[in-house]
Amino acid sequence: MKRSKLAVLMSLLLMAMMILAACGGGDDTPTDGDASTGDDAAMTEDDGAMTEDDGAATEDDGAATEDDGAMSGDKQVITVASGAVGAELELAQNAAAMFEEMHPDVEIRLLDSPDLADDRLGLYLQYFETQSSEVDVYQIDTIWPGDLAEHLIDLGPALEEYGETYNISRDDFFPAMVENNTVDGALVALPWFTDAGLLYYRTDLMEKYGYDAPPATWDELTEMAQTIQDGEREEGNQDFSGYVWQGNAYEGLTCDALEWIASFGGGTIVSPEGVITINNDNAVAALETAAGWVGTISPDGVVGMAEEDARSIWQAGNAAFMRNWPYAYSLGNADDSAVAGLFDVSPLPAGPGGSPAAALGGWQLAVSKYSQNPDLASEVAVFLAGPEVQKMRAIDGSLNPTIEALYEDADVLEANPFFGSLFDVFANAVARPSTATAPNYAETSRIFFTNVHEVLTGDTDAQTAVENIELDLEDLTGFEVGQP
Amino acid sequence: MSTQNPAADVSPKPVAAPPSKKGGMSDLAKAEERLAYLLLLPTLVILFLIAIYPLGSVFYYSTTDRRFASSQATEFVGLDNYQQLLNMTVRELPRQLDEAGQPAVDPDTGEALYARPNEVLITDDGPRYRDVTTFNLLGKRYVLGATDRDFIDATLATIIFTVLSVVLETVLGLGVAMVVNSNFAGRGPLRVLMLLPWAIPTAVSSRMWEFMFDPTRRGFFNVVSQKLGLTDGQVSWLTERAFQLPAMIAIDVWKTTPFMALLLLAGLQLIPSDIYEAADVDGASKFRQFWQLTLPLLRPTMAVALIFRTLDAVRVFDLFQIVLAEKRYSMASFAYYELIKNQKMGYASAASVIIFLLIFIFAVVYMRALGVSDEQ
Repeated sequence: MKRSKLAVLMSLLLMAMMILAACGGGDDTPTDGDASTGDDAAMTEDDGAMTEDDGAATEDDGAATEDDGAMSGDKQVITVASGAVGAELELAQNAAAMFEEMHPDVEIRLLDSPDLADDRLGLYLQYFETQSSEVDVYQIDTIWPGDLAEHLIDLGPALEEYGETYNISRDDFFPAMVENNTVDGALVALPWFTDAGLLYYRTDLMEKYGYDAPPATWDELTEMAQTIQDGEREEGNQDFSGYVWQGNAYEGLTCDALEWIASFGGGTIVSPEGVITINNDNAVAALETAAGWVGTISPDGVVGMAEEDARSIWQAGNAAFMRNWPYAYSLGNADDSAVAGLFDVSPLPAGPGGSPAAALGGWQLAVSKYSQNPDLASEVAVFLAGPEVQKMRAIDGSLNPTIEALYEDADVLEANPFFGSLFDVFANAVARPSTATAPNYAETSRIFFTNVHEVLTGDTDAQTAVENIELDLEDLTGFEVGQP
Repeated sequence: MSTQNPAADVSPKPVAAPPSKKGGMSDLAKAEERLAYLLLLPTLVILFLIAIYPLGSVFYYSTTDRRFASSQATEFVGLDNYQQLLNMTVRELPRQLDEAGQPAVDPDTGEALYARPNEVLITDDGPRYRDVTTFNLLGKRYVLGATDRDFIDATLATIIFTVLSVVLETVLGLGVAMVVNSNFAGRGPLRVLMLLPWAIPTAVSSRMWEFMFDPTRRGFFNVVSQKLGLTDGQVSWLTERAFQLPAMIAIDVWKTTPFMALLLLAGLQLIPSDIYEAADVDGASKFRQFWQLTLPLLRPTMAVALIFRTLDAVRVFDLFQIVLAEKRYSMASFAYYELIKNQKMGYASAASVIIFLLIFIFAVVYMRALGVSDEQ
């Protein structure tokens, strides 16, 4: 019902726009606030021809697009759906201006997409469902390449073609990210900026309680957190917690729990080859360890906490350790923070016999198959993912580059001294099994975090939980069962 | 989601109902009748475009395995989606046996121990059921299993939410309406103030309540319950199943009681004051006046208000989506999840059709029970 109402509304709007445009004569300067629909209507009118011609242009490419470009003031238009969280929009505008300077015949329009990942996915799917050419370049989450692959073009050839111009090649990116974005041999998205789980620790408290290095294992973390928590509570801070993390039943818990399990050597739920590996002793041990934190070194309420809940406790100075993404670093050092200058980050601890693991997050650039100008759009994507733009975004916005070499870049390190210690974290990052389980990742993740959450709240035991996850995933994906 | 417009199923019958003696109609009457149909035509066309066509497509999609935003070929699957959504079973849980072969009890609490639900629900043949809930009946313990436990859980949650929130809203709304209907100084400003919660967008008020339910001592409810000595101030209200529905109902009652009060106030103002004077003269107590005058005369208004609220509550989406997200679904947020996150358009459509049917049943029951159609 909504859609057809929308269609009626849209067509009314379009008619109104055409009338307005016709009244406005030849004036085709688009105003900044113009909705893209409005611009389209104006373009159509300028061309003199009606919508049919516009439709024809969609099917043609290359030459037709040149004409298309002529419609909007001799410029080819590429629309990029980018994030607008924090400084992202401004950074994207700067990058667009850089490209436009190099290519005066190109105009890059930015479409703000919703801040919440789920809402963004909903919006993108509607564009894809209608095979809309409205957006050429999409900023997509690290867990979407598998699901969206059929709407995206292979950027491998474009990376070869334009890589030299913009100084970038496939090997410059972190391999785990390239693997995550490769679906059936096609590189459907370029890693743009990245995220991974980190351990934040209070340097002042470590010193106060006589520890000289951050914990290397979960056991050490448990012991240190307990000591610090007991001490601080004795001194009167009843709200102090040893360790805060994301225990709410949502995608964030999938990341946290994947880190525990992977660092215990328990695999990644589903292996990249498509084998369900969750039902193993290491995974059970990892979940039991985490469940043991609830109500001891972590508050009972941790099972309802997301990133921002953990950060607000941390930033008020009420936690010794926190698991969070890199964004909390610059916020933690802001003027209003009680812990400014009193903390540092390190890789997350490892389980017995395992090695540290950080869940890979972040955003990629992908080019729509339905773009009217896929070639130019790919060039824009390659440029945006190239070292020049990534360096600018790292310095001005503290966004973590996906290019390995930038972690040794003097300018980047000067602006973000902690980036140096992140290299190892990203190099060892573990991707969520989104590509292997596509198009069922959302359900896979939900099965996983729902069952893990039940373990944390004590409603079920870890062994039953991994059995349930295994059974549900077998039903969902039809994959084989195996050991990691 | 497109099935949620209640206008589709409670839409008024064409107003120009032809008289019963059709054969005896004059030419003028016939011409008028034709004109009436002609004038109705635009409405019917619009109704077809915005209600019947989309609803029809949802019905159609619900019998396919269509994926949203996917090039995968769509196949007709008949009623498979419905079967998957609604397939349920109830099985008895046998007692656990101890080493001696006797029924086992929990050594700490002395309560009987039963087999795990999975032991009776998972069999080698037939569909795999997941446990929705376990319950005791006549001294035995049973498990309710469903092939899609989330949907069954969402349906139960939606029905509980609907019944409890609408009852509470009606009772409280009636109380509020009676208060602001009586004469006192400052009645006007109070009526405006009363409407405030209703005026706040659900997205905003949901977030507000979410802050109050914060799992740490920043949260209002944690602070209060700790001060009262009930909890340790670390309760994660929104992730604990026992608190999820009460929280949703509390938010909805807070938000929607003013709306109910407003509707009922309108009804109260329609009741002429002289009948109360007559009742006073006759010596009827205030209590009796309420039961024998106010309530019966308020019935038509209350019926409309109840239908409004119930249909709204059955398709509740924003509240659940914002506050609980994937922790617990209402039927509508389940359909949304299946459509957007899982891209299962056929499956989500089938869920939407079931919401539609549920709303339809509620509407019919109300109209029958409260006699709305007779009186209007």
